[in-house]
Amino acid sequence: MSDILSIENLTRRFGGLYAVNDVSFTVKENEILSVIGPNGAGKSTLFKLISSFLKPTSGRVMLQGEKISGLAPHIVARKGVVRTFQETTIFRNMTVRENVIIAHHLQSEASLFGYFAGSANARRDVQKFGQSADEILTLLNLESVAYEMASNLPHGSLRALGIAIGLATNARVLLLDEPFAGMNHEETMRTVNMVQGVRDRGVTVLLVEHDMAAVMKISDRIVVLNFGEKIAEGTATEIQNDERVIEAYLGIEDESIGL
Amino acid sequence: MEQVIANGLYLGAQYALIALGLTLIFALMNVLNFAHGQMYVLGGFVTYVIYGQLGLPFVVALIASAITLAAVGALIEIYLFRPVIRKSHREESTMLLAAAIAFFLDAVILLLFGEKQRGVPKILDGVLNWDFRIIMPYDRIAIGVLAILIIAAFILYMQYSKTGRAMRALAQDRVAAQLMGVQVDRYSMIGFAIGAMLAGVVGGLLVTITGVNSGIGGPISIKAFMMVMIGGAGVVSGAIAGGFILGMAESVGLTVFSGYGDVTYLIIFASLMVFLAIRPQGLMGKPWG
Amino acid sequence: MGIEHNSNGGSKAKPAGSSLAATSLKIVGALLFAAFVLIVVPMLINGAERWDLYYTLTSVALLSIASAGVWLTFYIGRINIGQAAYALIGGYVSAILVVDYGVSFWWTLPLAGLTCAAISIFVGLPILRLRGVYFAMVTLVFTEVAKMAALALPITHGASGIANIPLPGALEIFGLTLIPDFNTLENSRYAFYILSVTLMLLCYFMMYRLVNSRMGRLCYSLQQNEELASSIGVNITYLRLVAYAISSFLGGIGGAIFAAISQSVYPSSFAVADSINFMLNCFLGGLGYVLGPMLGTFVLYFGWDWLFQTGKYQLLIFSSVLIALMLILPNGLLSIRLWGKKS
Ligand SMILES: Nc1ncnc2c1ncn2[C@@H]1O[C@H](COP(=O)(O)OP(=O)(O)OP(=O)(O)O)[C@@H](O)[C@H]1O
Ligand SMILES: [Mg+2]
Repeated sequence: MSDILSIENLTRRFGGLYAVNDVSFTVKENEILSVIGPNGAGKSTLFKLISSFLKPTSGRVMLQGEKISGLAPHIVARKGVVRTFQETTIFRNMTVRENVIIAHHLQSEASLFGYFAGSANARRDVQKFGQSADEILTLLNLESVAYEMASNLPHGSLRALGIAIGLATNARVLLLDEPFAGMNHEETMRTVNMVQGVRDRGVTVLLVEHDMAAVMKISDRIVVLNFGEKIAEGTATEIQNDERVIEAYLGIEDESIGL
Repeated sequence: MEQVIANGLYLGAQYALIALGLTLIFALMNVLNFAHGQMYVLGGFVTYVIYGQLGLPFVVALIASAITLAAVGALIEIYLFRPVIRKSHREESTMLLAAAIAFFLDAVILLLFGEKQRGVPKILDGVLNWDFRIIMPYDRIAIGVLAILIIAAFILYMQYSKTGRAMRALAQDRVAAQLMGVQVDRYSMIGFAIGAMLAGVVGGLLVTITGVNSGIGGPISIKAFMMVMIGGAGVVSGAIAGGFILGMAESVGLTVFSGYGDVTYLIIFASLMVFLAIRPQGLMGKPWG
Repeated sequence: MGIEHNSNGGSKAKPAGSSLAATSLKIVGALLFAAFVLIVVPMLINGAERWDLYYTLTSVALLSIASAGVWLTFYIGRINIGQAAYALIGGYVSAILVVDYGVSFWWTLPLAGLTCAAISIFVGLPILRLRGVYFAMVTLVFTEVAKMAALALPITHGASGIANIPLPGALEIFGLTLIPDFNTLENSRYAFYILSVTLMLLCYFMMYRLVNSRMGRLCYSLQQNEELASSIGVNITYLRLVAYAISSFLGGIGGAIFAAISQSVYPSSFAVADSINFMLNCFLGGLGYVLGPMLGTFVLYFGWDWLFQTGKYQLLIFSSVLIALMLILPNGLLSIRLWGKKS
């Protein structure tokens, strides 16, 4: 497998605080790579840097040899790197299906004016997005709530919707920030399957997560951050036996993380 | 040169006071008080009646302006903003309520005081002439100094009094303040009253220099908005900085462009847009969004 | 290809069965409404010999065009209190071209709109990054600045404004008279009424299409969550500018016709209070409905006009009613309908 993303000496400072400090690693095509670390370790910031919602203080992010850091977020999305959010962010006053339909934006062939005037391209787009949305909703078991207002969804379905939105963008690299947060065990396992389903469609998945059981189960590789710095990188087994990782976590919480 | 700076300082002090009231209300309740200019006008008319008409001492009139507007502010908060904030699920609602209140105060002022420009006797006679470098009437100097003293008093009050500290906590984080036991309703009311009072006091101060008329409420609000945008909304230091910057800019503009008609504000607005493009949160504001 | 222009696509659309019927119902409704305002209303006015109502209704039509623009900026999540600036600019562009350069009014009308759109792009680039009260404040300031510019710039003739604008001449294309010279008409009020109402219908038809097309959904996604919209690849800067430019275009058109009707334009023709009123129109009519601003403008303008008989208490009563409305219905007139759904 070749590298799809490489993160090179990425640093982001907020005032005097190094939220991400000289972090480098690569992401292989079609793998699931998890980024873990205690609260405030800089995981979300790292994702914002990769998706270009934040500009790095120094360092860069390369997508298959092309520099993407510094570009506008929607351009980065257009190139195939899409982030969903830690906070359950969705279009609250749209139905679930509308949420997924709108997220097909990157596959649009018609122009804005085309949509307004109802050009042939526009009608084809709309048709196509509708079908694709229905497929995605079925894949993620959301058909039953397709016409619910997104703001009325229970927590679990919200996460699924977040993933559905990510899927609909047809991203090559999907960044999921805490997709399992607030879920019970059963919901988590179902979502883990979803994420694996997403990967099976050829998507590279980067994920930030606190649920260690899920991380260990799902990840091909893991990167560990602490105080903005990368302290370890490797497979689940390697990480579980890494001195520095255990130390970092022991300082915060003990066994609850399941290391 | 010195003259321009002196004018700027005098204007800036008044503006800063106006902006302080607006920003205080914004910080505490996230309400943009469209009626701020009308409150200023009301304050001006109260002083006009008591000092100009009834002939009582100026200080008495100024205090009356302060008390009247504090009462008006408190009542508006309790009976209008509080219920609307509680019931609405959009921030526009308070904005529209504020606009309606501005119209209402405009109507009241017009009915009570008519539309004529009103002035009062000078509070001090004589002119300071410093080598023809600064020429400034004594009453302007007195009003400017008074404004600066009030600003200082306000800062000290916010910094050291119990009420001031509670309001600062509330401004920083409403929920956290509530959890810490700050009575949100009470301090919102006090904050609104103080904000309105500051507007009224400036009205009372300036009526002695420029007079007052019922139509200037809107333009005053607009100036206050500009200052708050320059300095950053909801920040005390920002309001003061914004006030002085606008005062200076106006003073400089009026001197430099006096030959070109009234393009000063056009230029100030253009600069403001460029500035906001670089720093949307204003000079001292917190980054957001 | 009817009015209804489904942005949802796909066969699984929920109201599949009833959508055709609903569409035809909407078309019939729209046609009936058009016939009513274009034919029945003039008949009623002529019958009752209330010619003054032409002016009132023309004003409503024009103000609701400008309000539609404000509504659109709200649709992308911005509270726009600067529409009066564009109405003023539109009025001046048309007046200056007609009076000082002898251009036909019919050419100045689109030019007024386009000038406003162009200016709005310059203004919008920096300020559309602002949100919430910040955007509201800066647009309000812009209204005041437009007025000051009209006072200061030589081309606008300062405080004396531009009076004695001639009535619109004939619009001819290839010798064919599309619109007759307003001077030759015995009732130019009627002509202005038909012109304004036609433009209003056109404007709201376009708005309806826009909102119900995928473009409308994209605009709405900005209102809901700009960050997410950006992360799914929407060029939010561009879309915001487009919406704001359309909004300003509508403001300019409204202002230009207003100047033509009153045959004059002054720096105070559109002021801060107008900007606030445009916003109030939208709010009162309901921000969730395309037709909201039209309804809001109608109610507010007629209410205001009707209160004229109260003389000096007009503003007092008007503002008291507004305050009372906010207290009773803090979420807008049409929110009554929403109560059932929400709870
Ligand atoms: N916009 C910002 N301005 C200032 N500091 C910030 C900003 N964003 C993040 N930080 C700081 O950077 C550090 C890293 O934050 P980040 O959100 O990336 O952590 P995280 O690893 O995602 O934590 P969590 O597990 O709680 O989600 C924190 O100390 C945070 O306070
Ligand atoms: Mg995080």
